[in-house]
Amino acid sequence: MNRRTLLSTAFAALAAALPAAAQTDWPERPVRILVSFPPGGSSDLVARLLAEKLSASLGQQFVVENKPGAAGTVAATALKEAAPDGYTLMLSNLTPFNVAPVRFPDTPYDPIADFDHITYVGAVHLGLFAAPSAGTSDLAAFIEKAKADPGFYEYGSSGVGSWGHIIAEQFQDETGTELFHIPYKGSGPMRLDFMGGVVPLIFDAVPQNLPAVEDGTAIPLAVSAPERLSSLPGVPTFAEAGYDIVAENWLGVSAPAGVPGDIEARLDGALAAAMELDDVLDQFESWGLIRVPKTSEQFSAYVAAQLRQWTPLVEAATE
Amino acid sequence: MDLLSNLALGLATAATIQNLAYCFAGVFLGTFIGVLPGVGPLAAVAMLLPVSFYLPPETALVMLAGVYYGAEYGGSVASILLNIPGTPSASVTCIDGYPMAQQGRAGVALFSTAMASMFGALFGVAVMVLLSPKLADFALLFQPAEYFSVMVLGLVAASIVSSSGAVRGLMMVCLGVLLGTVGIDVNSGETRFTGGLPQLRDGISLVVVAMGLFGISEVMVSLRGATQSYAGKGLMGSMFPTAAEWGRSLMPAIRGSLVGSFFGTLPGTGQTVASFVGYAVEKRVNRRRDQFGKGTIEGVVVPESANNAAAQTAFIPTLTLGIPGSTTMALMLGALMIHGITPGPRLISEHPELFWGLVVSFVFGNVFLLILNIPLIGIWVRLLRVPHSYLYPTVIVLICVGVYSISNSIADVWAALAFGAIGYALRLFRFEPAPMLIGFVLGPMMEEYFRRAMLLSRGDPGVFVTRPGSAALLAVAALLLLATVLPWKQWVTRGVSAAPSRGQG
Repeated sequence: MNRRTLLSTAFAALAAALPAAAQTDWPERPVRILVSFPPGGSSDLVARLLAEKLSASLGQQFVVENKPGAAGTVAATALKEAAPDGYTLMLSNLTPFNVAPVRFPDTPYDPIADFDHITYVGAVHLGLFAAPSAGTSDLAAFIEKAKADPGFYEYGSSGVGSWGHIIAEQFQDETGTELFHIPYKGSGPMRLDFMGGVVPLIFDAVPQNLPAVEDGTAIPLAVSAPERLSSLPGVPTFAEAGYDIVAENWLGVSAPAGVPGDIEARLDGALAAAMELDDVLDQFESWGLIRVPKTSEQFSAYVAAQLRQWTPLVEAATE
Repeated sequence: MDLLSNLALGLATAATIQNLAYCFAGVFLGTFIGVLPGVGPLAAVAMLLPVSFYLPPETALVMLAGVYYGAEYGGSVASILLNIPGTPSASVTCIDGYPMAQQGRAGVALFSTAMASMFGALFGVAVMVLLSPKLADFALLFQPAEYFSVMVLGLVAASIVSSSGAVRGLMMVCLGVLLGTVGIDVNSGETRFTGGLPQLRDGISLVVVAMGLFGISEVMVSLRGATQSYAGKGLMGSMFPTAAEWGRSLMPAIRGSLVGSFFGTLPGTGQTVASFVGYAVEKRVNRRRDQFGKGTIEGVVVPESANNAAAQTAFIPTLTLGIPGSTTMALMLGALMIHGITPGPRLISEHPELFWGLVVSFVFGNVFLLILNIPLIGIWVRLLRVPHSYLYPTVIVLICVGVYSISNSIADVWAALAFGAIGYALRLFRFEPAPMLIGFVLGPMMEEYFRRAMLLSRGDPGVFVTRPGSAALLAVAALLLLATVLPWKQWVTRGVSAAPSRGQG
């Protein structure tokens, strides 16, 4: 046996051994989970909760790394550039994968082709809330009033190109109303002005507004879920009222494209098991995160379908 | 009486062994992390957030709050000793604190900082206890027009703060405002001055600018040997202020605390505006205004009492409305959310033990802070004996680590170094970085609120003067500006010299 054959045999053996090693050995070192928000927000908390459960079940540290910025595209770009070896993951969500690539054509990644979308976590929905000063508690009655007085009612969103803004534009299209947009930098300052009676209406994620609803300072008119929400059973969906508005801000776990299938299967299994735990379910419920289990294939198809759904809406809102 | 039963409930919560221990641990860790240049309260709280997940909610909040105001205090140590503020609000403390250190009075400056911080904090707590339900309503009364006027006041105050003259101060403020326009425009969603870099869409990071302008440039200045002279001078001198200084500090501490308590309740403006406005007002009101900027004790007492009072009252909008005024406050809310508590208007009535326990823990925490820090002053001052060849490379490393940790971005570190070079160039031409920083912080907010107020009034600029709150704030700003521009000092001296001659005649 000469040196060349020896080498090639060694390589062949190595190549044959590698997948087998991955099957049993991943994770061998700490795994990073990128989060596209600063610490403390609900996505960050979801990531930390899941990281803790994965660390326990897979025997390696799962470390949350916050990479906020540029509508989540900083984190998604970093994910694309990472090696597809299962050691860099991201808590993916609506904005960097379905909104930003449409809004910013120079986004340096393809939200579908460049990633493996592995596990669906859950979603929160959007609501239309009115302040008591708006003098309305019923969607149909409000639409009548708004039609009679185009441009009179202001609504707040958490920014130009935010999902609240995009859905508000769709709402105006569908209902034939004309509302006056007041954009904010994030949901916090918007809710402050809403409580202070500065803006009479907001389009905002449901969970963080539930305390104000209980308090009577925010009146929910409709929600963007496909069915009524268990947290607001008395509030109709837009669909019930006859408008084709269904919007959810989803969360999932994604990786750079090309992660070996067995690692993906192991991760998906561990995440699915974690999200069956009672304490995780309790936390999800308290954060208003609604989970409908999906397989990895279903989740990938879902992200692609969401992109098709959002593309025309984003273009219409931010033209 | 309601108040007494609330305080009793708070005391029962805060005075358990566990909560006292975590409160102490919080202020202790906070102080040490805060002392490191480049690492402020935000990084300190973020580091300890995961620990809080394993604690009951009130203990978690007590500890994180301790970390927060401990780090706020710790930040002033680096401001005074090294001229490197840990936070934008501490940059005001540099103005008089650092000259005091150069005169060999670092111990006195640190001691008065500790006293002023505690005074301001307890003042803020008293305001919270007496007025908490009203304060939440007060924060809601502030609408975009009022916020705009607050920003105007803050910017006018910033240009007055400068000891190199109001014109230079104003130039620096304008430069800061211009830098602040980088990023996505809130109203149109268009990007401005980003040069196509996605990293700049959210604007330039405040920590990057602050650390570059102050921290890195200070190290560069020291490389020239410009600040070497004072090290070792009067190190072990008394840390106690003279009797005259005690007396001179009381009124400024009260004024600073009042200003601080007011601004702390406004989400988003908080401590930075509080310390700048407090300093600017004092510089107008105080009879020894000529001494400001040259290392006078009042110049340390005012911003420290103001920003610590603001640090306490900032919890009001956060906890009663569920709306965080700053990123650090957002972390506190995160700590509650992990325990299934969503802060909102009903937090105080649904979780009274949480709110009142926290308030009472502020008192304990601030006392701990004082007890902890008085013995430490000697150690901090001795830091100045560390040869600069060891000290400054360490400082640079810490700043880089601190800047990197904000969003795990190496680009931020390069940007901070670039701002260091800019800051150095500015200093060579005797321009001060503090007004530029406040312009950078307030300018974009001022624009945002101005345009929002104009949207809401549908283009009528009258809102700024017809709303009484806004009109009053603008009037104060105008008075401050007039008092600076007009040569009133000459009138006063002329008036004094004229009076006796009239008497004789």
